[in-house]
Amino acid sequence: MGGQVRTGRPGDTATRRTFITAAPRRRLAASIIFNALKLTALGVLIYALAAPPPILVTLGAQQTVRATNPKLGIHTRLTDEPEEWKIKKTCELVRAMGSPWIVEYFPWGYIEDPEGWYDWTHADQVVDHARQQGLTVIARLGFTPTWARPKKTVTSYLDEAYYPYFASFVNAFVTHFKGRVKHIIIWNEPNLNFEWGYREVSPDEYARMLQAVYPAAKQADPEIQILAGALAPTLAPPGTLDAMNDLEYLQKMYDAGVRDYFDALAIHAYGWTRPADDPPDPSRINFRRAELAREIMVRNGDASKRAFITEGGWNDHPRWTKAVHPAERIQYTLRAYEICDTWDWLAACALWAFRYPFPAQSYLDYFTFVTPDFDPKPIYFEVQKYATR
Amino acid sequence: MRRGNSEQWTVNSKQSRVSRWRFGTLPLAIVALIVFAVFALVKIFAPPPKPDATWLRVLDTGELRVGIDPSFPPFESEDANGNLHGLDIALAEEMTRVWSAETGIALGVHYVYSGFDGLFDALIASQFDAIISALPYDSKKTQDIRFSYAYFDGGPLIVVRASDEKTKTHFDLEGKRIGVELGSSGDSFARKWQRRLKYDLQTFNTPADALRALQIGQMDAAFTDYIAFAEVSRPSTRFASGHASDIKTIGAPLASELIVVAVRKDAPTLLEKINAVILAMKKDGRLAKLYDEWLSVH
Repeated sequence: MGGQVRTGRPGDTATRRTFITAAPRRRLAASIIFNALKLTALGVLIYALAAPPPILVTLGAQQTVRATNPKLGIHTRLTDEPEEWKIKKTCELVRAMGSPWIVEYFPWGYIEDPEGWYDWTHADQVVDHARQQGLTVIARLGFTPTWARPKKTVTSYLDEAYYPYFASFVNAFVTHFKGRVKHIIIWNEPNLNFEWGYREVSPDEYARMLQAVYPAAKQADPEIQILAGALAPTLAPPGTLDAMNDLEYLQKMYDAGVRDYFDALAIHAYGWTRPADDPPDPSRINFRRAELAREIMVRNGDASKRAFITEGGWNDHPRWTKAVHPAERIQYTLRAYEICDTWDWLAACALWAFRYPFPAQSYLDYFTFVTPDFDPKPIYFEVQKYATR
Repeated sequence: MRRGNSEQWTVNSKQSRVSRWRFGTLPLAIVALIVFAVFALVKIFAPPPKPDATWLRVLDTGELRVGIDPSFPPFESEDANGNLHGLDIALAEEMTRVWSAETGIALGVHYVYSGFDGLFDALIASQFDAIISALPYDSKKTQDIRFSYAYFDGGPLIVVRASDEKTKTHFDLEGKRIGVELGSSGDSFARKWQRRLKYDLQTFNTPADALRALQIGQMDAAFTDYIAFAEVSRPSTRFASGHASDIKTIGAPLASELIVVAVRKDAPTLLEKINAVILAMKKDGRLAKLYDEWLSVH
């Protein structure tokens, strides 16, 4: 054709530059780009159509926990669980296991950042789904936001100058959850230096933290129960730089005048390699070390106060030096719940831990009752059998 | 006579076909060709990978540094004189023996002790070249780590009496009495299938207890790992009546618990060498001999 066309008028043989010959290189490039864009748009459309719709999660009907041991509890770990349906499913499984109590972590830095700006979305999801499943939430508070600590410090670092800010957050938390959360734990394992901002641990400073927080919390809700301590069981000898023996720390808390600034003691009761019945002994870490903490409470005039076990239990990793066999873990766990039921000074026994949102890829995974994929382990079924008998 | 209209229509339809070709199909074809050509050229002319620095260091020093937690017999343990024994030790020694023959360089193994939890961090920090310590494969840990082919599967097996010719899979055990160690992976597996296959599940404190119950007819099958099976079926643990061990394993593990070697991701040559040895040992029976030697003896 040669790019020529007759116009159709007789005698008119003029060659006309037609569509197919006009600037062919420019048109070719434009066509390539246009086709590439078309393909991209098509791909995006296919993806959008094929992608699953967002999951609609509702609270569902109000549930109650069928539990033969009303003190049975478990520490859930929904702090880093972003998906609401997994929060709901976790609470459902906890209820089905027969556990009325959960301990959950509500990091200050996740909720109030920047200062004065609160995002309660995730916390509301956790609390509301837990309550809908009939669970009672014990809220652990801590985790300093970046704006409340110097640069290059860790989230467990809280300078005394910022205790009023923490108290303000606790006030806001208690206010927001009034009627929904009735127990809060102030900080975590302050007798370990890495939980104290890698500073020298100080029962006096922790006592001052409680003195700042307690009135703020009570001002928001006079009925709120403030749990203190949550000390890590350790046999650290006096003068150890990175930790203080939990029994020594607790006594020093009382010496610092903490008695009027908490309502109940939070206890961490890990059994390590010893059975649940192993007798309490200050020179041993075992489950019944909790009784030694209780003795200190009584000795300091706090016999009327209750205690809560807010962490504890056993691990069945095949290689960890502090682990036991799977069968032992199950037997010791069930026995621990039985023992807790006999302690009239104990309100709840929440062992560690129900499920992690993602694998820890270490021995920590062998503390859980359910895998991240919601696969219940045998220990879940055995506790369920015990708790719902 | 006006022929222009039909002529013009004919010309325009031809124009349209040509236009679709030149401005539709042709550009796409050109783009595809260019992309293919680029990939082909890169593949053809890419230089071969250099041996990694870890492998070169092993050859240079004559030493493979192996991270190990010697607290897990029969894979690795230390005797009273501080000597290491176990399947992992034998495997590491075999690797260096093979490489020594291949390279003509005398290679040995230097063991670096570490607690199990610290093995990965120590490997990433280059405190040793490889972890050979009954290490379970972890598919989620491949950001910094590369894993070898498995040299052992510690997952639960179906164990039945030797006279049982009917059982081929766990489906054949529907309604039967199954013994497991409480809380074990065999227990997990059995519970998953219990509702559908109506297993009469019995739990025991140890896998050996489950296997002994099988031997004396209290169970129809047991789900335990190979090591427990090898231990119970050893002649020295046979019943006092003198009967030979009368249990056998069926099929592949019910759930894989692969045991592998780990190297850093920047050690592809070392990984290749390790895999080559493992594959060769599987093929020619050397690995099976190691199982007989180390997984059946305490």
